[in-house]
Amino acid sequence: MPEGYWCLVLHNHLPFVKHPEYDDFLEEDWFYEAITETYIPLIAVLEGLLRDNIDFRITLSLTPPLCNMMEDKLLQDRYYKRLLKLIELAEKEVWRLHGQEPFFTTAKMYRDKFKLVMQIYEKYNRNLLNAYKSLLETGKVEIITCNATHGFLPLISSDRVRRAQIRMAVKDYESKFGKKPKGMWLAECAYTYGLDKILKECEIQYFFVEAHGILYGEPRPRYGVFAPVYTPNGVAVFGRDMETAHQVWSADVGYPGDPNYREFYRDVGYDLEYEYIKPYLHSDGARRNIGIKYYRVTGRVGLDKKEPYVPQWAQEKAAEHAGNFMFNREHQIRYLRNIFDREPIVVSMYDAELFGHWWFEGPDFLNFLFRKIQYDQNVFKPILPTEYLEKYPKNQVLQPTASSWGDKGYFEVWLNGCNDWIYRHLHKCEELMCSAVDTYHQSVISGDELKRRVLNQLARELFLAQSSDWAFIMTTQTHVEYAHRRTKEHVSNFLRLYHQLKENSIDTNFLSWLEFKNSIFPQMDYTIFL
Amino acid sequence: MCGHIHSSTYFHSKGGEKYMEEKEFLTPSSTSATSKMERKIEVMPQITDLPQSYGDTKIVLLPRDPWWCFAYWEIGEQTLQQIRNLYGDNVQYLIRVYDVTNVEDFNGHNANRYFDIYINLEAKNWYINLPEVNRSWCVDLGIKASDGKFVTIVRSNIVLMPRFGVSPLTDAQWAVLQREFERLLELSGVSMIGKGSFDIAKLMKERWEELLAISQQPQFISSGFVSSLAKKEQPKEQEFYLKADTELIVYGETMPNAKLYIGGEEYKLSFDGRFSLRMLLPDGEKVIPIKAVSADGTMEKQITFVVTRKSERK
Repeated sequence: MPEGYWCLVLHNHLPFVKHPEYDDFLEEDWFYEAITETYIPLIAVLEGLLRDNIDFRITLSLTPPLCNMMEDKLLQDRYYKRLLKLIELAEKEVWRLHGQEPFFTTAKMYRDKFKLVMQIYEKYNRNLLNAYKSLLETGKVEIITCNATHGFLPLISSDRVRRAQIRMAVKDYESKFGKKPKGMWLAECAYTYGLDKILKECEIQYFFVEAHGILYGEPRPRYGVFAPVYTPNGVAVFGRDMETAHQVWSADVGYPGDPNYREFYRDVGYDLEYEYIKPYLHSDGARRNIGIKYYRVTGRVGLDKKEPYVPQWAQEKAAEHAGNFMFNREHQIRYLRNIFDREPIVVSMYDAELFGHWWFEGPDFLNFLFRKIQYDQNVFKPILPTEYLEKYPKNQVLQPTASSWGDKGYFEVWLNGCNDWIYRHLHKCEELMCSAVDTYHQSVISGDELKRRVLNQLARELFLAQSSDWAFIMTTQTHVEYAHRRTKEHVSNFLRLYHQLKENSIDTNFLSWLEFKNSIFPQMDYTIFL
Repeated sequence: MCGHIHSSTYFHSKGGEKYMEEKEFLTPSSTSATSKMERKIEVMPQITDLPQSYGDTKIVLLPRDPWWCFAYWEIGEQTLQQIRNLYGDNVQYLIRVYDVTNVEDFNGHNANRYFDIYINLEAKNWYINLPEVNRSWCVDLGIKASDGKFVTIVRSNIVLMPRFGVSPLTDAQWAVLQREFERLLELSGVSMIGKGSFDIAKLMKERWEELLAISQQPQFISSGFVSSLAKKEQPKEQEFYLKADTELIVYGETMPNAKLYIGGEEYKLSFDGRFSLRMLLPDGEKVIPIKAVSADGTMEKQITFVVTRKSERK
């Protein structure tokens, strides 16, 4: 009998970025890089664990935009071509660096990794959802969804529109995985009062909040964040453990900053001779990250002082960190068990893209960790949220506080001087969406197919405009122009289409173009707004 | 920002409105067949600037965190004309912020209390610093008539603020000893709440900036974000700007049953006697007297802060 449980949740998300109007589009790289560096490496790790009969558990939230991109034929084909080019470069690199250690070993590592990525990509027919579907069937991997386009629910103007975001997610999940989702990741862990009622209606059994969502809940939480609670409407809530968050994220003591790990910012896209690297850049020819990097973090030194990466050292370090993480959990869980009258659960929540993309050795760390947990200790076991709820169906009822996992813990990241202008427009579209559905639903029922298409596309444009990513990017100041453009694009598409609907002057070319370009949710059904 | 493949159409046009102009587009022959696309020039919708207003008369209140709300508004042209006709051109606009905690059917006259903020109508939005956490608020956009009477133009939604601090309520069925609970809070990471986000984009950006700062050779300029962080030296036609402001946080603790006054106003302590107040800090001198009075009224302690802010722009 273990003394407690550890629940790992990885949130997989990217905004819906698809630009069929261009042959080559920079922001699509977010998706391609994440496949090569995070999604497929994690799938490979999980498959390895299954093969070796490791009794692991992991909860993955896959957001609808991500699932829709994974299923998109255009993006699938574009990624395939990108990966071919990357393998070509990796092969060239093996030749270029032949015999020059330690670079030679690293070059071979990249070549082998990229080839493995291709093998897995092909195995699943270029559609990674096939991989997740088979993982889901094992019972060791739980896949949950996230509200529609990752809209920031507390800043949406009405419960009716929040409900539509949540219903859309359920619909999307059902169409992809053939059953209803058990849990939902609320975008940015953003909770606000009344959401639990909607989740209950949609048969969602549980969701997650930041630690203070529970710690500041009312009444006081008996077990802190180390047991789920039920909201007044009976939905289970799991709170984030801050100790494990800190251990991985902290700039000073966190694992990814170890000197032996790969340095993200020394990339061949900048280091190598221009003519040699040019064929692997975008069509504009500007130098940028390609994904092959030969240096390690080294320490707090300038980019020019970085020392070469040694794959073996990094592997040893990842194993050591896995051991350290496990050791800390043993202590934490044993301590909690002593003061509790039941087995505690420690919930660790991370962005999936941390593993592999930013922390290159992250997938290896998880691989070592689950194996060590199985063989090297017996204090705790990995668990899925539903498994814990089955063990402990009786939990305290409390009202979690409105909160998010963003900086400062509330809504400021998505509501500040950089992005507050968007809400008057989003709210207007939300209002018009509801009124359009109310006004035209009858004509659709009477057979007006064109109006059905318009209402569905209005819903897509609204959802795309609502993605929390745009407000977030405006705050972090990283791709601001793109975020502004996307917000304006979807709002103006919405307003124009709404106007055409109202004036009964629908431009079918325009509508078809939008259906093709902003093609998220092929199974859209506007009645989620009713 | 970042090196962008379409810089000729997007980044070199001011404000980005012309993103899709004069550009060849791929147009689908059907909505699903992505493989069979024909290339033709299509007059695609331009992304235009969004409407300045929607002709509504409304004010919307949104919570930002336990201490701040955000309000945005617009007044329709007709309403504005009516106001001018009735009250003249030089009316004073304001927002009245009502504490409607536990008020059923708020009607404008049954609030627990209210305060006013004089505004410029053209500001179109305002961040409101609230005097107390864990309350419900509602705002009116209105005017002060020449006789001093407040006239409501339009009322907002009601916002129940995100909670701050541990609840004083305990649950008989799930009771826990105070000392044990405090230990549990510590274990749950209560001290880390709000201290820096664990988010990947922010982390990457910070690390990149640190690297830039300590790197010698500019040829190693690289980039980050979920795919690629901004290259700082991209030429840009946007006007160079700097915005900065300051806020002040006053915090401390006293006996949990004491009465606390900040600037003469009573301030509700959290269950363990802590208090924290966050306020705007504009230019000038700000005097903040903090006074604690013991529960039986016999003892008193006072600390006064004098904070001066002086901005220098160059």
